[in-house]
Amino acid sequence: MTPVSWGWVVLLLPLAGTIGIALGWRALPGRSAGWLGSVTVGLSFLAGIGMYLTLEELPHEERRLVGSAFRYIGTDTVDVDLAILADPLSTFMVLVVSGVSFLIHVYSVSYLGSDRGYARFFAYLNFFVFSMLLLVLAANFVLLIVGWAFVGAASYLLISFWYRRDTATSAGIKAFVINVIGDVALVVAAFLILNELGTLDYLGAFEAVREVPHDEGVLVATCLLLLVGAFAKSGQIPLHTWLPDAMEGPTPVSALIHAATMVTAGVYLIARCHPLFERAPTAAAIGAVIGTLTLVFAATVALVATDLKRIIAYSTISQIGYMVLGVTAFAYSAGLFHLMTHAFFKALLFMGAGSVVSALGMTNESIDRMGGFRKAMPFTFVTFTIGAAALASFPLLSGFFSKDEVIAYALHRGGIYSVLGIVAYAAALLTAFYAFRMVFRVFFGEPVPEAQQLAEGELAHVGPRNPLTGEEEDTDVGFPGPEHHIAEHSWSMKAPMAVLAVLAVVGGVVAIPGLTHGVETFLEPTFAESEFIADKPAPADQLKDLAIGGVLALLGIAAAYLVYIRRPGLARSARERLRPVHSFFAHKWYFDELYDRAFVRPSRGLGRFGRTTVERVLVQGAIVGGATGVVRAGTALARSIQTGYLRAYALLLLAGVCALALYFLIASG
Amino acid sequence: MSLLVAAAAPKIDLASLSPLIALVGGSVVVLMASLASSALVQRVVLPILGALSLLAAGGLSIAIWEPGRVRPVVEGALVFDTLTLFLTLLFAAAGLATIALSIRDEAIREAGAGEYLSLLLASIAGMVLLAGATNLVTFFLGLELLSIPLYVLCASLVRRRESLESGLKYLVIGSFGSATLLYGLALVYGATGATGFDSIARTVGARAATATDPLLLTGVAFTVTGLAFKASIAPFHQWTPDVYQGAPTPITTFMAVATKAAAFGVILRFFLDALPDAIDTWAPALAALAIATIVIGNVGAIAQSSLKRMLAWSGVAQAGYLLAGVVVGTRLGLQATVFYLAIYLLMNVAAFAVIVARERFSEHGDDLRSLEGLGRASPWLAASMTVAMLALAGIPGTAGLWGKFYLIRATFEGEYGVLGVAIVVGSIISLVYYLRVIATMWFDPIEIRVPGPPGRQVRPVGSGSPEADARAQPEVAGLAILCAAATVFFGVIPAPLMSVAVEVGTALGVR
Amino acid sequence: MPVLDIPLPAFMAIPFVAGLIGLAAPARAARWLALAASAGAFAYTIFMIADFAPGGEGLRYVTDEPWIPELGIRFSLGVDGLSLFLISLTALLWLAATLAAAFRPPDRLFERPAAFFFHMGLAETAVLGAFLAQDLALFVAFFDLMLVPFYFLIGQWGGRERVAATTKFVIYTLVGSLLMLAAAVALGVLSTPKGGELSFALPELARRSLPEGTQIPIFLAFAAAFLVKAPAFPFHGWLPDAYRATPLPVLALLSAVLSKVGVYGFIRVVLPILPDASVALQELMLVIAVFSILYGSALAFSTDDARLVVGYSSIAQLGFIVLGIFALDPKGAQGAVLQMVTHGVVAAALFLIIGVLAVRAGGSESLARMGGLAMRAPVLAALFLIVSFATLAMPGSPNFVGELLILFGTFEDKIVYGLVASVGIVLAAVYMIRFFQAAMHHRAGPEVASREMGRVDMAGIAPLVAVVVALGIYPQLVLARTEGDTTARLREARQLAGGVPDTEAQPARGVTPGGATVPGEAPIRSPSRPGGESVP
Repeated sequence: MTPVSWGWVVLLLPLAGTIGIALGWRALPGRSAGWLGSVTVGLSFLAGIGMYLTLEELPHEERRLVGSAFRYIGTDTVDVDLAILADPLSTFMVLVVSGVSFLIHVYSVSYLGSDRGYARFFAYLNFFVFSMLLLVLAANFVLLIVGWAFVGAASYLLISFWYRRDTATSAGIKAFVINVIGDVALVVAAFLILNELGTLDYLGAFEAVREVPHDEGVLVATCLLLLVGAFAKSGQIPLHTWLPDAMEGPTPVSALIHAATMVTAGVYLIARCHPLFERAPTAAAIGAVIGTLTLVFAATVALVATDLKRIIAYSTISQIGYMVLGVTAFAYSAGLFHLMTHAFFKALLFMGAGSVVSALGMTNESIDRMGGFRKAMPFTFVTFTIGAAALASFPLLSGFFSKDEVIAYALHRGGIYSVLGIVAYAAALLTAFYAFRMVFRVFFGEPVPEAQQLAEGELAHVGPRNPLTGEEEDTDVGFPGPEHHIAEHSWSMKAPMAVLAVLAVVGGVVAIPGLTHGVETFLEPTFAESEFIADKPAPADQLKDLAIGGVLALLGIAAAYLVYIRRPGLARSARERLRPVHSFFAHKWYFDELYDRAFVRPSRGLGRFGRTTVERVLVQGAIVGGATGVVRAGTALARSIQTGYLRAYALLLLAGVCALALYFLIASG
Repeated sequence: MSLLVAAAAPKIDLASLSPLIALVGGSVVVLMASLASSALVQRVVLPILGALSLLAAGGLSIAIWEPGRVRPVVEGALVFDTLTLFLTLLFAAAGLATIALSIRDEAIREAGAGEYLSLLLASIAGMVLLAGATNLVTFFLGLELLSIPLYVLCASLVRRRESLESGLKYLVIGSFGSATLLYGLALVYGATGATGFDSIARTVGARAATATDPLLLTGVAFTVTGLAFKASIAPFHQWTPDVYQGAPTPITTFMAVATKAAAFGVILRFFLDALPDAIDTWAPALAALAIATIVIGNVGAIAQSSLKRMLAWSGVAQAGYLLAGVVVGTRLGLQATVFYLAIYLLMNVAAFAVIVARERFSEHGDDLRSLEGLGRASPWLAASMTVAMLALAGIPGTAGLWGKFYLIRATFEGEYGVLGVAIVVGSIISLVYYLRVIATMWFDPIEIRVPGPPGRQVRPVGSGSPEADARAQPEVAGLAILCAAATVFFGVIPAPLMSVAVEVGTALGVR
Repeated sequence: MPVLDIPLPAFMAIPFVAGLIGLAAPARAARWLALAASAGAFAYTIFMIADFAPGGEGLRYVTDEPWIPELGIRFSLGVDGLSLFLISLTALLWLAATLAAAFRPPDRLFERPAAFFFHMGLAETAVLGAFLAQDLALFVAFFDLMLVPFYFLIGQWGGRERVAATTKFVIYTLVGSLLMLAAAVALGVLSTPKGGELSFALPELARRSLPEGTQIPIFLAFAAAFLVKAPAFPFHGWLPDAYRATPLPVLALLSAVLSKVGVYGFIRVVLPILPDASVALQELMLVIAVFSILYGSALAFSTDDARLVVGYSSIAQLGFIVLGIFALDPKGAQGAVLQMVTHGVVAAALFLIIGVLAVRAGGSESLARMGGLAMRAPVLAALFLIVSFATLAMPGSPNFVGELLILFGTFEDKIVYGLVASVGIVLAAVYMIRFFQAAMHHRAGPEVASREMGRVDMAGIAPLVAVVVALGIYPQLVLARTEGDTTARLREARQLAGGVPDTEAQPARGVTPGGATVPGEAPIRSPSRPGGESVP
């Protein structure tokens, strides 16, 4: 089998899973729906490996295969096939996506074990995997947009999975709308590409773009539009506001979609379109700046946020900032490498968080009400800490190699990029700090009641409440609680976490500067034509940068230890002293407030204005009313003349005669 | 009779005259027969006699139908060409319809069948005379012969104030109209020194001066007034609603369709035959009148709650449409006008028949409310009324559309596009009141309340239940359905009627 | 030639005749007759599609008889790529609506079922006639005739305020239609060359020419008729009342099909026959389109009435279609045609779904009183979800392909309008998701009783959803068949707009039905052309 045919298999398995679960949901007993979903995704991962192996067999220059099913849209100048592209990059993404998805599926099997919407959940989840694979396998921009929108839809459905929560539904609609904004940007970009480069196929467009001069206006515009799309998906400033709210979804969703896979689609898009960006360096630079801005912003917010899942969400935003910086600094392998490792440790972190939140009976996600879970949940503690360490780029863990490689490339590129690199270092310090802030706040300190009971082996039972509004949950829709699904108690949650923990530790070995170049060499064919393929920092510099990164990480962790373990009071006093800064961070830099005033309210007002004023005054009043008014007036007049008295008629008759006679006399004269 | 005697002297083509003879003869015979006062004669024989003479007239006019052939009779005082004959057919049809509507009516009982019917026939004879007149004298003669019987017929419900009032009004204004007309004709004669249309045309054509001769044009002005009055063209229309409402409904029907046809017949002939060369002077005037008529008629109709008044106003509006066909002064205009006259007869007879059927037992008389729930009560009547209304509004599927289509086409080819637009705008306004009728019949409970007269006591015909009543007067219901069916038929297959109209178009000497 | 070849007049008459028979037949039989007739008609349209080779072009199944020689009107019908799918859409939706109406629990609707289905049949015949007509007069006649049955359907079987609503609706639309009547006659007369025969045959009219001076008023009259029918801002004054009063199965047709006849008229009649005016007034039409998109969306996400959400949204959708048509670009027109079909399907499906929702929300169609309906109705929720996604043109749905092409077409020359219009896509996401959530999600409203949809509802809605999915996977099915005839219609206008070189235009003449080309005809029309003089 060729890589392409493997690709089709990869694509169709999760789709089959979705349809199977959707149609057979009544028939599927117990947890079989979950297993069905997991198996299809697992097989899809194996097919991905088949894709990888068959691709490896081919000579380098032939590792780009397009397989077309049929003509999708063909009219006038538009000619788009339903086609997939099998090349190292798509294979890489396929492996990451399907692999992580498989683990998270398995985790969910028991995490949502007692949820009323069990089958629905896995139908959605499989649909998401299908959409994500479609996104990464698409061979042209139209199909990319399709996958792009599908993942958005899946994400919407899963965010508002517990749809009785108003918070969940509003989070869903927010996510959906912002994603649509991204889609529209991509549509416009697609048109410009079609117009500029004459085709919507990747390979054709990338061929054609070579003839376009550097920083040609339309091309820059195109790339900026692509960036808008990418940022909408990847929660970069200014389109990030939906991602934290997306934590309304069940934790596995946050792990899969809003940490490991979907949100990194933007990074994939930039990497995929690198020939365009290399032709439009300005756009790339803008992207890098925004990425850096985002990673700082998100880190600062994560410092002060108290909702456990939202802290991780912001750290996701921040980490994606690093990836964006990487790929826009033309360090594709580095960026994608970080994408991979991040997928491991971030998914792991969410799983741990899920376990903890579940231990609290789904009532609360605030770290203020957590503490001392170390003894109660040793497994969760260990794995979570590994994840946090990897996030903090603790030396020799996966995050350590990937993140610092990104920074190393940025510094190497020089110019504005070196500034960005330094800023990124600063943020790395913050990262380490907030990562361990979580660890210390959740697992150390005084055990909270739940922790104590858990330690004694039984579970606290509280009716499920919405952690944000505190309102009683409507359990008709179903929740993981009141049974507590925690890693400690079910192997199907432990297993994936263990696997991810291992990967988070050793994931780095595939690309140790100067030693291994796994990612780089594998991806090489995709980026063969890149101008920057050869232009990489010397291993020595990389090691130096790695060292700096490691030191910063340790410093950050130490600081966190100081603040939260040694001198617990310090945090509060610091907060008091820096109140304005703190509240600025705590309000997430007031983005939501800004958007609410700038867009949401005006458009609502517009609607109201239209419905009340325009409709009533213009449409009904002026247009309808005017016409009928004239007629009515005429009618009244006619009636008033029609008195029924002959004398009145005679008068008019006379007038008429005179008028006629007059006319004819004038005509005669 | 007088005519026949006079006919002895000059050369006269009896064959051509036969329709007229049939009518006049019929009128006399009916009058004679009515001396026998037996109920059978009064109730059955007389109507049959009247109908027979109308059928005879119609049959004869079909018999001598010959496109392109002009049959001058009585020394060119009268001409029986396709136009005359076609109109004669219309008059006969209208007459038959009127008889059908009358036979169970109070009017005929109170006036006496003999008088009633012979007056009707006499009036029709006058119409034929008018339609065929090619001479100022016959013109006036026909007009008077048409009008005087009608004055009486309007007042035939001698015990009802409204009827008498309507008769009187019609008489007074009618005489005013006739007087003006007579004066106008005199002036025309004075200006041209001729009474025959053709010789008038020749004089006007010969001396360009005459076309702008004040004397002639003043005459034309007065003639127009007189005719406008008969055809109820604004601003000489005001008698119409009152007279229509007051008169017995069968007579109203007759006036609505027949009188209008006769008036337009002579208008066509007078302007296209006698004054073709003065067209540039009279056409704009008539155009102005047409527009005024369309607007006033439609606007006036909206506020009416009495169906008869409503139809009177709509009749005014329709007169405006018809006038547009005259204005363009082309053969196409002539064809469009006669075609419209024909379908106009169908639409209105259908509508009036339904009104007759209802007012005989509904305590609302001819008020809009008398139609409430008719859709359930007697769907066939309601359907006929619906068709009539849709046709008057010019909706596809009915002949009304093609009537308007034809007229609009004529206006555009005659370079009077503005009239075409006027017709359309008029139709748009007319929707308001036509649709209201349909809504009243079908959409219960009716939400539109229009002020109407207080209910009056009526002696129910038949058993009293709507269905029974509809059955109790089969000729009325039958007439309504027949006309509605014809309207739909010509809406789907208008070609036959149009080819006839085309043949009629050959009558006058227009391009 | 197809397997079975029914002459178009017969095919067209099927529903009407069935309705007539139904009037005579016992009340129970009426609905079965109606169902059989609409099913048969739909089946035949499937044959037509199957028979129509991809990339095919030109009229087929042509019927061309003299009808009213005195007025130069011919009874000429035909199917081409442009009308093919609209006809099929009509038949499909009528089938679905008849189904939805036929098995309603006996309520007001079934006071006079025979009459109801008679009017339905008449309406279907009229709409099919309008799509099939190849003679302008015939088109106008059917276009106006459509109104009559709908007038009765709303007036007799409608909800509160129905008489006022329906009167307003009919007068509003007839104002346009009657103006169009005058315009059509004027067009026929003025375009007749000296000594030539008056003709209303569309291909003939397309060959004859009018000076731009007279084209513009005629264009405006046509535009008025079509835009009111659509409806587009600011001609939608009739919409709220009419939509509230109309019974849902009828409303599905009103919104899904009637609106399309108008925009169809733009491509079929206006572009080929009035190219100069189309170019001259292009900007005006684009502005109207963009306004309709934004304004319709704004209304849609601020109203609480489920029907009006869909109603206003279709103002926006029709705006997109008009945008695509008057972009005067093949992509745009193709997108517009596809969008006509797909919007028809989803709009109808939405209205049928609203019916299902209302039953479960205690009879209320106010969003405020719905909610939580997804609870025990996963299938309903799934179908509704798919339809909503399609309505907001989610990529992967056929509506997306339509809007994509429309936008691409607009970007070509009028990128500003395109960009403003694409805001409409985002707004669509807002109001559709808002609608979906308000109905299916959140806590259950007071009178809400969530339960799965019945077999009948399913039979009406599921096929429509299936069509949406199928076209989403393979939109080329439509595009490949509509391309030839659609682009042929706007070629003339494009030349004037400077779109195509003349060389490309000449062969186009050949394909226009009945199209022996006038020798030596200059592609750019001008008053000096024969026929130009016939203008007063």
